[in-house]
Formats: sequence, C-alpha cells, structure tokens
Amino acid sequence: MPSSHEEMWEKLNLDIDAHAGLLEVLGKFYGDIYMSQQGRLRGMEYLDFVLSEVHGLRIKELQDAKVSGRKVIGTFCVFVPEEIVLAAGGIQIGLCAGAEVGKGEAEKVLPRNTCALIKSFVGFKLARLCPFIESCDLIVGETTCDGKKKAYEIFSDYSPIYVMEIPQMKNFSDRELWRSEILRFKTQVEETTGNKITADNLKEAIHLLNNRRRVLQRLNRLRAAVPVPISGRDALLINQISFYDDPERFTAKIGELCDELEERVKNGTGIAPEGTTRLMLSGCPMAVPNWKLPYIIESSGAVVVGEESCIGTRNTRDLVDESAGTIEGMIDAILDRYMKIDCACFTPNTERQENIVGMARDVGVKGVIHYALSFCQPYTMEAYKVEKALAKAGIPMLAIETDYSMEDVEQLKTRVEAFVEMVR
Amino acid sequence: MIPQQNESVVGIDIGSRSIELVVLDSGGPVRQVKVPTTFDPLGQCRKLMEWTGGMRVVATGYGRKLFAESFRLEKVSAITEIQAYALGTRYLHPEAKIVLDIGGQDTKVISLSDTGKVVKFEMNDRCAAGTGKFLEFMATALQVPLEEFGGFALGSDRRVQISSMCTVFAESEATSLMARGERPENIAMGLHAAIVQRTAAMLRRVGISTPLVFAGGVAHNLCVRQLLEEELRQPVIVPENPDMVGALGAALYGRNLDRSET
Amino acid sequence: MKLEILKHFEDIGERFLLDISELDGTDTKVAGIYCLFAPTELVRAAGAIPVSLCGKREKPIADAEETLPPNLCPLIKSSYGYAVTNTCPFFAESDFLIGETTCDGKKKMYEFLGRIKPLHLMHLPYSTTEPHAISFWRDEILRLGRFLEESTGQKIDRDHLRFQIRIHNRIRKLLERIARFQAAEHAPLSGLTMMTVMESKSFFVYPEKYLDMLGEFIAEMESVAASGFSPFEPDAPRVLLTGCPLGKGSEKVLRIIEESGGAVVCMENCTGVKGLDLLVDEEEKDPFLALARRYLQIPCSCTTPNIGRINLLDRLISQYRIDAVVDLTWHCCHTYNIESRVVGDFVEGREVPFLHVETNYSTSDVEQLRTRIEAFLEMAGCRSNVRFANSRLN
Repeated sequence: MPSSHEEMWEKLNLDIDAHAGLLEVLGKFYGDIYMSQQGRLRGMEYLDFVLSEVHGLRIKELQDAKVSGRKVIGTFCVFVPEEIVLAAGGIQIGLCAGAEVGKGEAEKVLPRNTCALIKSFVGFKLARLCPFIESCDLIVGETTCDGKKKAYEIFSDYSPIYVMEIPQMKNFSDRELWRSEILRFKTQVEETTGNKITADNLKEAIHLLNNRRRVLQRLNRLRAAVPVPISGRDALLINQISFYDDPERFTAKIGELCDELEERVKNGTGIAPEGTTRLMLSGCPMAVPNWKLPYIIESSGAVVVGEESCIGTRNTRDLVDESAGTIEGMIDAILDRYMKIDCACFTPNTERQENIVGMARDVGVKGVIHYALSFCQPYTMEAYKVEKALAKAGIPMLAIETDYSMEDVEQLKTRVEAFVEMVR
Repeated sequence: MIPQQNESVVGIDIGSRSIELVVLDSGGPVRQVKVPTTFDPLGQCRKLMEWTGGMRVVATGYGRKLFAESFRLEKVSAITEIQAYALGTRYLHPEAKIVLDIGGQDTKVISLSDTGKVVKFEMNDRCAAGTGKFLEFMATALQVPLEEFGGFALGSDRRVQISSMCTVFAESEATSLMARGERPENIAMGLHAAIVQRTAAMLRRVGISTPLVFAGGVAHNLCVRQLLEEELRQPVIVPENPDMVGALGAALYGRNLDRSET
Repeated sequence: MKLEILKHFEDIGERFLLDISELDGTDTKVAGIYCLFAPTELVRAAGAIPVSLCGKREKPIADAEETLPPNLCPLIKSSYGYAVTNTCPFFAESDFLIGETTCDGKKKMYEFLGRIKPLHLMHLPYSTTEPHAISFWRDEILRLGRFLEESTGQKIDRDHLRFQIRIHNRIRKLLERIARFQAAEHAPLSGLTMMTVMESKSFFVYPEKYLDMLGEFIAEMESVAASGFSPFEPDAPRVLLTGCPLGKGSEKVLRIIEESGGAVVCMENCTGVKGLDLLVDEEEKDPFLALARRYLQIPCSCTTPNIGRINLLDRLISQYRIDAVVDLTWHCCHTYNIESRVVGDFVEGREVPFLHVETNYSTSDVEQLRTRIEAFLEMAGCRSNVRFANSRLN
C-alpha cells in the first residue's frame, strides 16, 4: 500500500508494525478464500478493491470528509438507526470485528469466556489496529446482550461511548422506551454533527437507506436461483462491505452487479457443479474477515444461498415506510421498522423461528446451519428452538458453536461434511 | 491371497490413534487389519495399501482428506466417520436406532431412521474430554495399561466423585484423591463414571432410543459398557470388532458406489 | 455455643411447606420467584404468597443440559433442572412464576420454563438513569399487577398495598439490623450461619410471624453481642464476599474462605445485604411509583453502568471494617464477570486486597480454590495459621 496511508495511520496513532502484519495476513487469507474461486462475477472486482483499500482509501475518504466538517459515527449493531446519522450529514460505519486480533490485550480486561466478536472490537481498540475506531467522532453501543452491555463499560475507559438501551420485549411500553431512545439519539447526533435534522433531510436519508436495502434484497433474490449464480462467500462479502462503504456508491455498484447476476440467471450459469447441496446460514453475524464457516461449507460440497443474520437478511428484510411527511411521522416509521428486528436478545422472539422457516422454504435449501459464537447465550439458546421449528417443517439443522480461531477447522469440516452427506 | 476381483472394496479408517482397514467382497468382510497411527499415518497407510491394487478405496476418519489427496488412485473417495459408522452399524445390526462411537479424540452420537439413514448427530467440541484420549491419559496417570483400565476400575469397592471432565483438571483431581489415600481402583471407577455421565448427556440431547449400538475403540472397555447400561437402563450392543465399524462402513459405501456405477 | 432460635431459620423451608399445606383447598395462590426484582409487596397485595425457588444445587444440572447449552451459569441450569425434574417442593407448590429479564441466560431460560408453568416476565430497564427508565419500570410493575389480579382473582387495593409496603420495609429494617451485628469488632455469627438467617427472607407464609421471629432473634443476638462472643479468631481477616448469589448447596466459596481462616462478616449479594438498605417510600401518594423507584435502585450487574454497587461496596467496606474483598462469579455469568474488573479497580483503589473467583457448583475445583483463597488471605497480610473455630458455634 502507498506510504501516504502509513502517514495517515500514524496520525491515527495505529501500531504501524502490527497493522502491517495484520494487512498481510488479511491479504493472504482473502487470497486463499476469495481469489481462488472460479467463475466469479466481474462486479466482484469492485468489492475486491474496496476490501483491499478498506483501511486505506476508505479511511482517507473519511478523513477528507472530516476535514470538510462531516462527522463519523461508529456502531456495533443494526439497531442504531442510520437514518438519523445520515440525515444530520454524518457517516455511519460498522465497527463489528471478525478477526482474532488483540486477543491477549482484550483478555487482560475482559473474561476469557466472552464471545469472539466482543473480544475482537476491544482487542482492535487496545492493540491500536482499527483506523475506523480511531476515525470516529462518536461511538455508539447498545444493550443487546450481557456481554456487549458490560464490555462497553470497560471500553469506555479507553474511548467515550454513547449507549442506547434496546428493549428486550415487544410490548407497548417497549415501543415507548425505544422511541425515547431514538429521540435521545437524535439529540446526541445533532449535537455531535452540529446539524439539525429536518423533515427534508430525514426523508432523503430514509429513501437512500431503503435503496441500499432494496438492492441487497434484489441480490438475495437473485443468489437463490437454480443453479446458484454467486458463491455464498461473495454474497456475504457484499453484505459485509455495506457496513463500511458510502451508501450511495455501494447501492449503485451492487445494482450493476445484480444486472450481471440477472444475466447469469437468465442464461442458467451457475458457479457450483450440479448437485451441490444448497444450505442456509442462520445466527450470529459474521464480520470481516470471519469467512471461516462459509469457506468450510463451500469446500464440503455445499453452497450457501442465504444468511439469516445481522450481516444478512436481518439487516435488509424490512424497509422504513416512506409515506410520512413530518419528522414525528418519520420517527414513527423508523420505530416500526427497527422494532421488527428479530434479534435473539428479544424474548420470546418467535418471529425469528417463523422467518427462518419461511426463508429456508423461499430460497429452497436442503438444510440450515445455525451458527453461534461461543458464549453467546441468546443465540445458543435459540438454536434449540430453531432446530425444533425447522424439524417441524422437515428441514434438518446443524448447530455449530465456534469462534474466530482456526484450531477447530478439522472438526468443523467433519461435522459439516457429515451434515451434507446426511441432507444430500 | 486376497482375491483381486473387481467386486472387492477397501474401507480405511484413519483415526487419531489407530488405522483400521477392511476388505469386503460380495460375501462380506474378508480381511480386517488394525495398526497404530503413529507419527507417520501416510506411511502406515502405504504399507496397508500395498496389496490392494486396483480395488476401490473409501477413506474415513481424521486422515480421510490427506489420504484421498496423497493416494491419487483411480477409485478413491472419502466420507465422514459419521456416515461410515452409520453404514457399518446398519450392516452388522440392521435393527439399530442409535449409534454411539467413542474414539480416540471424538465422541459421536448418531441417530438412525428406520431405513438406516442418518437423521441427526452430535459430536463433542474441540475438547477431548470424555473420549479415548481422556481414558488413555488417566490410565497413564494411574500407571495401568490402557487395555486393562476397564477391568481395573471394576475392581473398585466404591465410586469416588470426579466432577471435572477436563483432562487436565481431572488429573489434578485424581492426584489429590491419591494424596488423600483413595484406592486407585476407586479413582479409576470415578473417572469411568464421569465419562459415562458425559456420554449419556450427549445421548439424551440426540434422544435415546433402542436398540443402541456402542462402537469405536472405547467399546472394548468393559467398565464403560457396564456403567452405560446402568445409566441408560437398557442393554447396549457392542459389535464383535467395535473399532472396525468405521472401516467396514467405508467399504460398504464403496460397494454401493460400485453397484450404482454398473 | 448454639442459639436455639437458629433452628427456626434452618427449618424455615419445611415450616413454609407445612403452613402452605394448611391452606390447601383455599383460593390462596403461590407465586414462585427467582429474583430480588420481583416486587413481593405487590404479590402479597394481590393475595398471593411469594416464595423463592430452588437453584442452588448441582444435582439437577445434568437434566437441564439436555435442553440448555453448557456455557450457562449453574444457577440458571440448576433452576431449570429443578423445574423440569419437578424436584423442588416450592416449585411444585407454585401456581405461577414471576421472571425478569435480568440477564440473557435467565431471559432465554424462561422461554423454556414458561412451558411448564404460567410465567409472567418482567422487563427491566438496563439503564436506570435515563429519563425513560422510571416510567417504563412503573408500567412493568402495573403490568405485573394486572397479571397478579387475573391469576388470583383478587383486586389490588391501594391501601392494602401500602400496608404491605410498610410490612416489607419493617422486614428489611430488621434484616439490616441483624446483618449489622457483624460490623462489631467481635462478629457474633459465622458467615455460614448468617447466610442461613438471610436466606429465610423469601420463605414465609405469614409476614407478621416472620417479623416476630426476626425480633426474637435480634433480642438473643443482643445478649450474644454483649458477651463479646465471636466464632472467629480475634485476628481473622474480615472478608466481604460480593458478586453472584449463593445459598445452601452453593456455599462452597464462603465455606472455603472461613475454613481458610477468613471471617466473612458481610455479603454484598442478593442473598446478603443487597437491597436491605433500600426502602419503599411510604409517603409517596402513588404506591406503584414508590415501588418502581425502590426496585430500580437495586444495584444488580444487569444495569449499566452499575454505580449503585460501587457506592454500596464503598459504604460496606467502611461500615464492616473490611480487610479483603472476594468477588464470586458463577461460570458464564457475563454481567458479574465483566463487572468484576470495574469492582476490582475500585476496591484496589481503596487499597483493599481483591480476589476474583469464577467457579460453578461442582466440587472439582475445591482444592484449587482453597489454595488460591488461602494464598490470598496470606497475601492480604493476615496470618495463615488462623483457623475458623466453627466448633464453638455448632
């Protein structure tokens, strides 16, 4: 990478040597898992480029935007309403982390039996390896799960953090709680950015983000075609990049990629040999560069045709109603949309089971692989119920619990292969 | 001499501790061999494969991929141990509904449909707690040969409580029991009981049904067998050569392939 | 030396079951509860009797693990195990259950428990200082009130609720007085005995009788205290045990501390003094709001940031003249586990030695824990040869 980036990283106070090491490992990992694929779409070149410059040009863009007065707001969860940030002229960035980085540092301040995602973002911060975190003017946490809720208390020793309370149920009073949290967030964002949210800029933001969701919905429809026109890994990468890239540019580029996909579907071109088993992933989010399980699945005679996760359909399924004209009306619409999120932090969250069964039928899969990060209690406990719901619908499920390390790859392979043998 | 006929197929199960090989002809298994895995599994396989030229080979177990990649034979394929144990058990005991396989590093529970298809399975996670490795480790700690460990435990006069299934912690638990003057037989019994409890929990998660077939190397251990029957309150069927079931299953898979090709 | 009256505390569970069996055939309902956040005043005002449910023993955990994942705290697994094997007599007596969203594990476990008995789930706000918190929690208390009225068929009368509030405040005051005996230079009770006394607080059918029992106990304790008796060696380090709740069956860490020569003179946990100093405002016109305010102050690690716990610990360390703090976390309890760092930083900042212990209900690590705890007490500047003179009390 050009040295101009190095200067920028130094300014952001990154650990330059360790960071160079990280990029090297990431590059190799990406090469093995992505560049080795056959018959990829031309449109994936854009994503290869974005990923190769994810700590470079994208950070440069953020820095330039900051110079021009825009503010960068980092988040860890799909509950944080990006419409508010965008309306106020801010840039929202997903800070979720999928690499086993700074684990030693993180384990000095967090228990070992904390999930890998939490350890990773704390590790990135403590090891000074994430230029996104260091570019943020405001970092937003939320009370989705015990681990995150309490880890933010520790994180706040190193960097100020604003925490939103997420309701755990969906009664009337929960809606009101969430409304008051959205309004509090709006005030905070206005203060951070120095910009007022108006009916006009909010309407525009809602429309722009709906468009991003629409293009991802289109991708989800197209990828489920027979034969499968795009690998699960590539589709996951697109979803991952949606958290980092400029929404307008991203939407346009993925639109082009979908045109190409449409062409493939029309011609009946597939990326996997005939008879490859179609599977679906469900559960915890897989943040960059957590491609371990999709890679194992797709090297075991199967292909992933859908992800029921926050970096997947949970983030793109529902749109914000665009008919409201007043701020109050739009806040209501945002409220409605975000209350539909079927995260396992909710109880009883039966709609998630329905959504999974529905999706498995829609995209036509032979089985579902439920993925939970080790020590993530909400998802490991829901796995049991999801399995029952799928069994009722005649769809087998395999529950996997793992983390970001590579030590269990062989064992996971055996389990995934056996599952593929079983459902084939 | 081994008949060099086309209908003969070879199943090879490359596990963490031992490698088993079964040759199957149209009548059934005609040869069964078991060798230790050692630090050179491929070398061991090579020796075993010397006289199998031309036959179809199906590999299973941890080394299945390594095997398939190294022996670029014309007719070689690989299946998981889960599929292999299901097939092998079905052949030996067509009535089996559930298979328990405790091997060197893994414990697996496989639930079978009426037609012998795998409908559900569970496997221990990356930790070797409660597997053959655990028994081996503990036998060494108590200075008893592994083959005699089950019988040794049956010589106990009471069952001491071992609550940790972590190999490392259990050893320190055993050590502190010895320091308190507990008979080694009783400690051995406690260790066996701990394995059986953990295994029973896994069986319950899959759903216990009957008949249950217990295969894999640990099925040789009389104490584990007895305790399992007590815990589950049902008889446990152990095949004559419990550690050959995986290799047999792999060979059976190969025979089906042959048949579907012709 | 053995106080006769202690027997009443030891047998209180059986007493409860006897008293309840006498009510068989009446309309009286029993509400099974799992947590300090359940507003017992409201339960009583609806004519139901609240009782704590079992969850302190290892035994039923294996049965729970058929459904629940292994990486879950033993308290949750034990609670569910008791329920699913129907081996907790208090669970058997319960007509319905009250749960609350304190932690992920419990929240999701209640989804399974709700299949066994009717369960009402209260939703706790996690951030107690934001403006929405108090009105939200008051709404949740009202929602519980409606559930109780439906379940018992009895309307909640505001005056009766105020009466129950006064009674429960009196109970808290007496328990606080009992706990405070241990602040004396010669703590008159062992930590284990105090645990038994404190555990009685959720096992009574008749509050007035319970108040009498506490009053009698205080009278006896006064004479013991006046005699200067203590089961501990004079130079035993005074230990504050904080963290996750424990009780009969899961008292392993408490026992090891005392067997290693420590004097556990205070427990800052749900079994011990947590919440005893928080009274419901009897003057507030709206009793529901008064309840909401009181319960929202419980310094549980499920809230963020949990400043209340730090403030309480600060006060207790001075009040009970604490030499060392042991923080107990049940395995995989994320909230107490992560908060331990915050607590540790604070305690060490006060120059009081701090030890964090993460364990479960099994006995497998007893010897390791003993070594760690003995070494900690030695390190805390105390002589290692002090032995706990349990015999003097039993």
